[in-house]
Amino acid sequence: MAILQSNAGAGAQSVVLRLEGVCKTFGTRQVLTNLHLSLTAGTVYGLLGPNGAGKTTTINIICNLLKPDRGQVWLDNSPLSHHSKNCIGVAPQQNLLYPSLTCREHLCFFGQLYGLRGKQLRERVKTCLELVDLTDRADSPAETLSGGMQRRLSIAVALIHQPKLVILDEPTTGLDLEARYQMWSVIRHLQERGTTLLISSHFLDEIERLCQRIGILQQGKLIAEGTLPELRQHIPAQEIVTIQSPVEAAVLDRAHALGLVTRRYGQHLALWIPELWELKQILEYFEGIPIDAITRQPVTLEHIYLELTQQPAIQTLG
Amino acid sequence: MQGTIAVAQRILCELCRRRRSLILWAVFPVFILLLNVAILEERTQLSLAEAYKLATPLTIVGAALFFSCLGGTVSTVVAEREQQTIKRLFLSPLSGVAYFLGIFLAHSLIGIGQTLIVFTIALWGGAEFGGSLGLTVLVIALSILAYVGCGFILGTQIAKRTEDVNALIATFGVPLLLLGGSFIPAEFFPASLQEIALWNPVYHINELLAGVLNDRAWSEIRHHFTFLLSFAGVMVVGAWLSYNQMRERERNL
Repeated sequence: MAILQSNAGAGAQSVVLRLEGVCKTFGTRQVLTNLHLSLTAGTVYGLLGPNGAGKTTTINIICNLLKPDRGQVWLDNSPLSHHSKNCIGVAPQQNLLYPSLTCREHLCFFGQLYGLRGKQLRERVKTCLELVDLTDRADSPAETLSGGMQRRLSIAVALIHQPKLVILDEPTTGLDLEARYQMWSVIRHLQERGTTLLISSHFLDEIERLCQRIGILQQGKLIAEGTLPELRQHIPAQEIVTIQSPVEAAVLDRAHALGLVTRRYGQHLALWIPELWELKQILEYFEGIPIDAITRQPVTLEHIYLELTQQPAIQTLG
Repeated sequence: MQGTIAVAQRILCELCRRRRSLILWAVFPVFILLLNVAILEERTQLSLAEAYKLATPLTIVGAALFFSCLGGTVSTVVAEREQQTIKRLFLSPLSGVAYFLGIFLAHSLIGIGQTLIVFTIALWGGAEFGGSLGLTVLVIALSILAYVGCGFILGTQIAKRTEDVNALIATFGVPLLLLGGSFIPAEFFPASLQEIALWNPVYHINELLAGVLNDRAWSEIRHHFTFLLSFAGVMVVGAWLSYNQMRERERNL
């Protein structure tokens, strides 16, 4: 599948992270194949992919925890080295916190590891606590915080040394809805401050809402990359119409007669509509066929993702 | 240096938060000292002061430093692995050396605190110690280094969960201490056990510290010192290799 890429606006901003032809093999299994990736300053980049696609391996390589077999990683225009750790902040999928240490103690400890001290450290601790809205709980041990608060503390730890690149691995996994919204608010706040973020997530709506650029990994290959409008070009449709009918075969026949592409997303039969149709028009096209419900929705990242990764949930019909 | 201090501060901070553990660290060697003194005074017809003098080095090496420095290091490393916070440390610029020294510094402070408590009680009990203060400090520092190194190896290579620490200490630690003469002086051992004790580092550390505190001639304690120095060296090298192996094994997110 062709990689869709756009460099619009990339020239004007400095590149914070660049992966060039990165390959990684574990035993006989090729985990990453010729991966090229570029993040400009201030971008929020979403990395998507099914389990085993190579997202975590990519993050491990960027964090210098794994060495690529081939290819080069550049951080802030320098090849990756031990010193690169000062330029990266990571909030891993698991919070990885010390249960008995307070929020303030966590930030002081990790700040010291990154060479901060004295007034500078105190100010950074204060700023980070404010940023993740934990000032009120600054002196509470991590074990007494809710899941959402622990995740926010984990992000604050990642931010303490003002890294050039912040990596958030599954930032909202395991959080309830309210905590997810709070996390999104933190991410938007970081985005407003011009922080360069790389977010790996399974939640497509999250990536769609938060990220300016999106990369889709499958079996170690970047199969698509770009902004959401650019990725939408993979689905030549203005909207997706889902039709529930007791006689699906008739709907399918009619759809094919109209030249529409049909897909099945889970239990639902969906039609790709190339231009915006009035509801009246849709009803006219399917006149004579009993219809229980019609749902219209724009092309979302979920449709694009399913189309590109060809998950079992999607079935091409006709 | 800043990383070392940060790690040490963090360990001590966690320990202080669990105040009960800190109290137990202080009480345990006192108990052992008093029991040793009571047994020695009764069974060997020694004066109270002499019993304190004989029991003090055994208590410091066996009850204080062994558990706080070796056991404490195993617990610290295992907890770090179990909570996976070690991965966060791998993500930071903290070096393996700074991490090791941080653990060494934290447990040294606990060990030194225990040592001071034991000495204070022994002096209060009438014991009089001779020997060089510098050599005493050097022996204690080398013992702590050896114990922390050994704890690092066990914590990175053998124990995987906090529960493993108890089993490990019970299986290897207690027999080593018994055979090292920490609870019953080695001169009371049968000849066969005395032969075996010659291969036990705890025995050499006990004998060395007792020798220094009793102002024995250097020629009498030199081979114990050489043993301790070699043991500490091997443990530090082993700890370094173990750390690298653990980093390779557990660094991925």
